[in-house]
Order: sequence, then C-alpha cells, then structure tokens
Amino acid sequence: MSGLERNRALRLAPGCRLNTTGGPEDLLLIPEGALRLKGPARTIVELCDGERTLAEIVVELQRHYPSAQPARIETEALALLARLRDRGVLEYA
Amino acid sequence: MKYTPRALIAEITHRCPLHCVYCSNPLKMQRRADELSTGDWVSVFQQAGEMGVLQLHLTGGEPLSRSDLTELVHAGREAQLYLNLITSGVGLDERRLDELIGAGLDHIQLSFQDNEEAPANEFAGTRSHALKLRIAQMIRQRRIAFTVNMVVHRRNLDRLKEMIAFAEQTGAQRLEIANVQYYGWALRNRESLLPTRQQLEHSIEVVEAARERLNGKLRIDFVLPDYYAKYPKPCMNGWGHQQMLIDPAGHVLPCHAAMVIPGLDFPSARERPLRWIWEDSPVFNRFRDESWMPEPCRSCDRRTRDFGGCRCQAFLLAGDAAATDPVCTLAPTHTVIEEALQRVNGRAEREWVYRIDPS
Repeated sequence: MSGLERNRALRLAPGCRLNTTGGPEDLLLIPEGALRLKGPARTIVELCDGERTLAEIVVELQRHYPSAQPARIETEALALLARLRDRGVLEYA
Repeated sequence: MKYTPRALIAEITHRCPLHCVYCSNPLKMQRRADELSTGDWVSVFQQAGEMGVLQLHLTGGEPLSRSDLTELVHAGREAQLYLNLITSGVGLDERRLDELIGAGLDHIQLSFQDNEEAPANEFAGTRSHALKLRIAQMIRQRRIAFTVNMVVHRRNLDRLKEMIAFAEQTGAQRLEIANVQYYGWALRNRESLLPTRQQLEHSIEVVEAARERLNGKLRIDFVLPDYYAKYPKPCMNGWGHQQMLIDPAGHVLPCHAAMVIPGLDFPSARERPLRWIWEDSPVFNRFRDESWMPEPCRSCDRRTRDFGGCRCQAFLLAGDAAATDPVCTLAPTHTVIEEALQRVNGRAEREWVYRIDPS
C-alpha cells in the first residue's frame, strides 16, 4: 500500500535534520521550513538511521509500544514513512 | 510575547556581481564601509537562536562577496540555526563549497535567470549563466540540499516548460519558480516585467502538469504575481509575526522593503538587543495587530488570513502604508492595479534600468 521497499533502509535526505535545541517542540528542519512531529513520529524518524530496514523498524516499534495493536503500528508507521519519502525528507540509504 | 520569530533573513551585503533587473534590494543600497562586522553578525545569530529562530537565510546582494561567509555559517550552526545560502553562485569554487558544507551549511538555493544563456545574461546584466551551470554541477556532486530558483516575468514566462526541464537537469531536489514581486528595482522595471494575463494562465497549467509528471522527483513551489490575485498575499505571514530581516548595515526590518515606508525609525542591531527590537520596538509593533486597519480590512473575514496584505506595497502604490493593499479587489485604491494591468496587457516592452553596485 505504501509503495515502500521493506527490505531497504531509509535515512534523512540532505538538508533535513531533527532540531537539537531540546525545546518543547519536536521539529524536523527542512529546506523550506520545519515539520512538527506529533506523537511517536520523532521515534520513527530517529529509527531511520540508514542501517535498519523498514521491516526491522516496524518490529522495533512494535516492541517499543507493546500495548498498541501490531498491525496498526505497521500501517501507521509505513504511511508516515511513505509521506516523508514523497516529500523528499527521507531517502533510501 | 504572542509572536516567536522563526526565520532571520540576513542580507549580509548589498554588493553583487549581478545587476538583475528585478533585484529585490532597495534602490538605496548600503555601502561596504557600513556593513556589520563578523563579530556583529555572530552576536546577532546567537541572539536569534536564543529567541527561538529556526532558520537563517544568508542572502544579499551576493553573500559570497563577503570573505567571512564560512565563519558566519559556522556561527549560525553554533547558534543552533538551520543554514540556508541564497546565492547566484558567483564567487564559489570547489574548495569554498567544501568549506561551507564543512562549516554546517544545510541548503543552497542557486538562482538562474533563464534556461537560455543569452536572455539569462541579459536579465542579470552580466555574463554569469555559463558559470552557474558549472556551479550547479559542483553542488550536485556533494551531499547537500539543493534548490534552484528561477525568477519569472513577461520576457521568459513563455519558456516555462523549458525552464522546468532545465531545472530537472541541474539535479536539484526542489525548484522555486518565483514571479517577480514589485518592490525595489523590480518596481522601477515593472512595465517590462509584469506578465500578461494570458501568459499567467498558461503558466499555471504548465506548472500543474509538471508537478504531476515530477511527483516524488522534483518539488515545485510556484509564487504567483499578486497583481492578478483577487485578494492580497499574507505578506511575511504578518508584520512582525514570524520573520525579521537585517540589512547589511544592521537595520532590523520586518521585511525586505520596509525601509521605503517613511516615518519609521528602524532600530539597529548594533545598538539594541534583538529581543527588544522584536518585542518592544515601535516599528515591529506598528502593524502587528489589527488596530491600524482601515475599512474594508477592519470588518473583513479575511483579515486574520492576509493581514490586509503588504504594507510596503500599500505605501508604494497608494501612498499610505496604513491603507489596504491596493492589490485587494475590495481596496478603494484598486484602480492603480487595474490601470497597470491594462497598460501591460495592451502594450509593447520597454528598456531595462540596471542596478549599479554600491561602493
């Protein structure tokens, strides 16, 4: 559904980085501004380290959020990753 | 404070090897001798970071004209800012580019005046196009975010399809197609630059088709000319709401053009803390809320969306910075826009006025 390749790894594209100021907002800085990361989105983006495959990221998230439905985690995480990739924020490593 | 500044536009010099006929710099440019020092800028960037500014746009003139640019980039990153360089590319070579990236540059926005060499050089008032092609190649070979900016107007809008194909070849991830905004030198050359209605309508179709074709490959941002809009643009997303600009001599302004408005005493970053200027200076509070608004803005539902449009344009075209932006079809002064459009849509082109570099 997402059109992503699950056996490949993603990383932040050049010019995209998480802000490190430690303020109240989780912001992803990009060339045209900033994206506000809601809920577990920051964790998901942080897992895109260019090493872990998408399948591994999903397993990790399911372990991280044991009370949520595993299938729902998979659907929502992949949907977010697909959106960020379409926007050019994430790229295949 | 209700408003947090999110972006700082630093015009670090007005010097530039190009002489573009639509330059956004003011007609009265700041001289080299009056430019802020490296230390002044470093202090400004630190203050900006502490105030919550996220993005630092280094622009000019040509920012590469300053030999301390790498130092400034480094200082901006130290202040936790996102570093964007807005450049013509003239003054860049492999070593300098590597130094800038090493210092923490996040993103380069490289301008092109056209896809064809002869008109590009004509609009820039200098032979720079061929060099820019080499610069684009240098940027593409490195791991850094890359946007191509193309300014469009009457004389090149009919080539928009070719210009988009050209931008694709540069290897940029993003293309900004910006219609000329009529301030500074562009206002002086307005009658030669404003596109016709037919050109504009065609260009919108071209961009829509290109966006579909290039989805996921090249992002396209398209800035329309506000003269043809029904309602004004939300200029700077509101006066003193999100952004500030510092000119080469240290004047802190709510936008590029605000110096044209008479009767405002623009504070200097040399003399005042940036936080005081943002929060308490009369200039930043002058048009910040709605109390300045005349009718029809005052009772208009759109006032929270477009803030009455652009204060500088209201002054430049209607003679009053506290008037409704004449671009608005509801403005009592809208006839000045209609007259300009009538002239443009029924008349041949004129000669350019080129900007001269400040001493």
